[in-house]
Amino acid sequence: MKIMNCPLNGPRNISEFVCGGEVEAMPAPGAADAAWADYVFLENNTAGVVREWWMHAPTSYWFIAERDTRSDEILRTYPASEVFAERQDFAT
Amino acid sequence: MDGQVARPPRRSFIYRELEAAGARFVAVGDAEVAAHYAGDDETQALSSLGIADLSPLPRTGFKGDGAVDWLAAQGIAIGEASNHAVRQADGALAAKLAPGEVLVLDGLGEGEAICARLDAAWTPVASAFWPVPRRDGAFWFLVTGEHAATMFAKVCGVDLRPDKFSNHAVAQTSVARTNAIVVRDDLGAVPAFHLLGDSASARYMWHCLADAAREFGGRPVGLEAVRSLIR
Amino acid sequence: MRAGRLPEPFGRFVDRAEAQTFTFEGRAHPALAGDTVASALMAAGVTTLSRSFKYHRRRGVLTMAGQDANTLVQLADEPNALADVVPVSEGLAVGGQNYSGSLGNDRAALLERLAPFMPVGFYYKAFYKPKGAWKLWEGVVRRLTGLGRVNAEAPHGYYDKMYLFCDVAVVGGGPAGLSAAIEAAAAGAEVMLFDDQPAPGGALNYARFDAAGERAGRVRDELVRAAKNHPRLKVYTGAVAEALYEDNWLAVVHGNRLYKVRAHTVVVAAGAFEQPMVFRNNDLPGIMLGSAAQRLMRLYAVAPGRRAVVATANDHGYGVALDLLDAGIEVAAVADLRPDPPSSEMKDAALARGLRVVAGHTVFEGLGKKRVAGVRMAEITGQGECRGASFTVDCDLVCVSVGYAPTAALLCHAGAKLAYDEATATLRPDRIPPGMHVAGAVGGAHDLDAVIAEGRFAGWAAAAAGGFDGRAEPKFPNGRGDVGVNHPWPIFPHPKGKEFVDFDEDLVVADIENAVADGFEEIELLKRYSTSGMGPSQGRQSALATVRLAARARGRPPAEMGTTTVRPPALPETFGVLAGRSFNPERLTPAHHRHVEAGARMMVAGLWWRPAFYGPPERRDECIVEEATAVRANVAIIDVSTLGGIEVRGADAAEFMNRMYTFAYKKQQVGRGRYALMTDPSGAIVDDGVACRFAEDHYYVTATTGGADGVYQNMLWYNAQWRLAVDISNVTAAWCGVNIAGPKSRHVLSRITRDVDLSAEAFPYMGVRHGTVAGIPVRLLRVGFVGELGYEIHAPAAFGEVLWDALVEAGREAGIRPFGVEAQRLLRLEKGHIIIGQDTDGLTHPHEAEMGWAVSGKKPFFVGKRAIEIQTARPITRRLVGFALANGSGPLPEECHLTVRAGEIVGRVTSVVRSPALGRVIGLAYVAPDQAEVGSTFHIKGPGGRLIAAEVVPVPFYDPDNQRQEL
Repeated sequence: MKIMNCPLNGPRNISEFVCGGEVEAMPAPGAADAAWADYVFLENNTAGVVREWWMHAPTSYWFIAERDTRSDEILRTYPASEVFAERQDFAT
Repeated sequence: MDGQVARPPRRSFIYRELEAAGARFVAVGDAEVAAHYAGDDETQALSSLGIADLSPLPRTGFKGDGAVDWLAAQGIAIGEASNHAVRQADGALAAKLAPGEVLVLDGLGEGEAICARLDAAWTPVASAFWPVPRRDGAFWFLVTGEHAATMFAKVCGVDLRPDKFSNHAVAQTSVARTNAIVVRDDLGAVPAFHLLGDSASARYMWHCLADAAREFGGRPVGLEAVRSLIR
Repeated sequence: MRAGRLPEPFGRFVDRAEAQTFTFEGRAHPALAGDTVASALMAAGVTTLSRSFKYHRRRGVLTMAGQDANTLVQLADEPNALADVVPVSEGLAVGGQNYSGSLGNDRAALLERLAPFMPVGFYYKAFYKPKGAWKLWEGVVRRLTGLGRVNAEAPHGYYDKMYLFCDVAVVGGGPAGLSAAIEAAAAGAEVMLFDDQPAPGGALNYARFDAAGERAGRVRDELVRAAKNHPRLKVYTGAVAEALYEDNWLAVVHGNRLYKVRAHTVVVAAGAFEQPMVFRNNDLPGIMLGSAAQRLMRLYAVAPGRRAVVATANDHGYGVALDLLDAGIEVAAVADLRPDPPSSEMKDAALARGLRVVAGHTVFEGLGKKRVAGVRMAEITGQGECRGASFTVDCDLVCVSVGYAPTAALLCHAGAKLAYDEATATLRPDRIPPGMHVAGAVGGAHDLDAVIAEGRFAGWAAAAAGGFDGRAEPKFPNGRGDVGVNHPWPIFPHPKGKEFVDFDEDLVVADIENAVADGFEEIELLKRYSTSGMGPSQGRQSALATVRLAARARGRPPAEMGTTTVRPPALPETFGVLAGRSFNPERLTPAHHRHVEAGARMMVAGLWWRPAFYGPPERRDECIVEEATAVRANVAIIDVSTLGGIEVRGADAAEFMNRMYTFAYKKQQVGRGRYALMTDPSGAIVDDGVACRFAEDHYYVTATTGGADGVYQNMLWYNAQWRLAVDISNVTAAWCGVNIAGPKSRHVLSRITRDVDLSAEAFPYMGVRHGTVAGIPVRLLRVGFVGELGYEIHAPAAFGEVLWDALVEAGREAGIRPFGVEAQRLLRLEKGHIIIGQDTDGLTHPHEAEMGWAVSGKKPFFVGKRAIEIQTARPITRRLVGFALANGSGPLPEECHLTVRAGEIVGRVTSVVRSPALGRVIGLAYVAPDQAEVGSTFHIKGPGGRLIAAEVVPVPFYDPDNQRQEL
């Protein structure tokens, strides 16, 4: 069984984790239909290094992993705050 | 209105299982705890493999920005690193689960009721951190003895052997396929692990542990036996 | 010495002092403690252990190492047990399998006469015409082929699993593995060694490494002593390493336990398995590998025969011959396949003892019926050719030592590939992945000094990789003894065939050649078409010969053939090991035992147990109606502890709720609850609940039983991106919940409520309050899923049973009773409330479910908002409507029955029930938008395809003005 390094809890069996899909920026609420359809329904399915959401299930802790989908090698894991540092608001 | 009744005592989530195992209960504060079991010597099991149910006893948690600072101001010592616990002067244990989250277990001796004091001290006004209902949300077992780590290897994928998992280390992990917190907290020379997990799964976990403990002769032990190692 | 057994030091594994008796095919046989079934049978002169898969030929000992399918036998509770592995125990009953009549007289053996009509791949070609023919043939084929019988009455064994952790895991307890383990432990690493045999030593226990025959034992004793004395080295015997997964997760089966070994580095020193020679009748009992004969003698003190012929192409065959002589067995001849065998210590010793060596010759044909009675030998005149004169030699034992194939399964699991190496004429593991080390025969080394040196080096390297790098690097050996062990072509086709390449599947040389001729030249296709390597022994004795034959048939070098993919498990394992001790968590509500005591039928809801209804199963329908009637007419309670509970707290709590749910929450008053509907980014409904605002910065929101964990994790995921000032806590298990419902619920609850004014004015519908019930601090929610006056009481879980008891007691006078999930489903349907996941599917958006009222259009954002806008801008394709049946007699439609129009599917029934309150059959169904008007009629394809007319009626069906819940 694969081992993944949780930024909070350290190396653990992959069975303790849940993959949340690729890290992808959500379009602005007013973006075009096509942009939303792409965000909601399409995955890039990249062959190469991807940034993915992963959750350590026992702590429900979400973080980001960089993984090479060709070799399944996990290159780096880090807290989501490295990417999402600022409060996000939607215009009224 | 016929509502003027006192708050009932807290019983364990698995008091029926404990009764079936021959438990005798005593009142400890607002709780009824399995103090000892009918029959043979629990002290021996304690150092070999014993499982104590501490579920009715006080514990609490705080979570959010400022929780750690506030607890420090309340006189609770908390370490820098997450997943590490610190023993308090009166015997309580404060385990840092994340940069903004702390779990507090009252000491097993007859010291100050720290959790009750903290719960009472917390006020919702202008707080950016909140209490976590650990006493109702989680069961609390204590697994003791030289075979404890080996027994855990049957239900948990984290290496808990004494030279790999130091005293007061914390593992938030999966135990018997449920989410759990394991805190090593030796009773003197006897290895011991607190195990906390979903209170609705308490009976399930109790049976899993009993099954895993069978080959080592593991058995339930009461609070009195545990206390005998603290004094 | 007991009759039939060799004297000491033969018989390392058996205890002569302890005699046992067991039966085979109903006949009693003596055995010694430590015997396997096969060794005891050989000692008793029983040589036929099984019948082959297809032709029902007699088969006997081949490897004596649990590596072949010849020894599959039937135990009382276990089919397909390996007779050369299963230890004998007193009274053990063993039988043969796959025969008609008896093992000794198998009527199905006549099948062999049909062999010409069963060419390779015949079952792909036969039985399929005419259409349906297979149905007739299947039963016949299944009876005549196959393995043992499963005993469905066998008692369940106890199987479990356990993690082991170490720095270095060593697989294989031979000289390489022991040396590796000792070196790694000396370097400071914590080491575990796994060996499948009863005692460590590997080939040192049975093979011969010098003319005098003493070296093996001496080396073994030194290594085993050093291993056993090392505190950081633990040796597991009888432990089969079955698989190696990612990050060095090694699966080891040890008795009824699966060890999940997590090692930093792994040393594979698993050795090699000797290969049979391919010649006519090479499967006759009495023809076995040289190492099998050595195991019988050295491990079990069994003489494998009285007069032997050895066929060899290396030194090992001479070691076998010397062992036979030492055991007092006559060696009639040694056929050395090499035209000019080089001088060596063992060969010279054999010659010195007067052995008759026939160089450049091979055994060309086995003679005999029940057991080999002689061989025909011939001169080798070309690759696989014997065109010269031949002669026969009488014998009852043929020992074959012509080479090895590596035990490389674990390496292959980890990503290594097997490649054919011309220089050594063997398959060699190539592209060894990082974190793995190889030592000894598995990598081709056969010289004992080299094997030990390789072991040391691997152990040193494995320890150093884990940071234990204080020891000097051992010398890696120069020579390895890897050349001249494998003969490049020990395959001798015979004009009359029956030269078995794959014993499991009864495949002969022509079968492989014909498969290639049929076009299946690629090794993976060839395997599937010919079935070579697909039997129980998974090609351990056939892969090498198959590769060679296929390569020759294609006119290519074997190195270009590649090999088939190797997958776990390495050796057969039982289903018990795979299935044993699985963990199936289950959650109980705090009042669980009260439900059981009250006679509840419990049902599973996610991980939870919930009461379906209270009463005996045969009164199910009446119980449900009685419970529902109690809610409508009196007062009843239901355990709703399984509902999710999530605390949303912080300065941005209202903003967060506004983003997660479709409704508007910023203006929601403190002390009020509001319906909460959650959609996903595609606009589909995923959950619902009630959002209770207990403070400006505090919401307590409920979630569905099955959805709670997902909702909580989803909330955390979104806020990991939004970073709002809000804390989210899943408190589902911390709070129990009881819903008290019915016209008398206020009266009953007020009897035990101290500090909350329950009057309609002070505590209106959808109000939420803190209070004390029966001395317990609670949250009270005035909500009405079932459409009657009612309160949800949420209390700390530890008081759940006390709260339940208090409500039962307080309601005793009023005739309170519990109701279960079934009655609740009925009651909510009468009110037209949907259940997420039953009345919605993965695509249902709020407007289809007539829930547009719960969607705020004014908010700048909520999850799913944009998708809902896009969908509502398009024509709607279906609507969820309430319906009633005009005629409620006859079989009722069921959930998921289709709604149809002119033969086309337009939707489905999602809920349906016979309503006691309304006296008619009601339900919810998806219909086409133009059928959704109240008063329209649509059709349901009911039981047996009968069309049932249904009328669209207004929802709620019951109490349409919602007066009862707002009393």
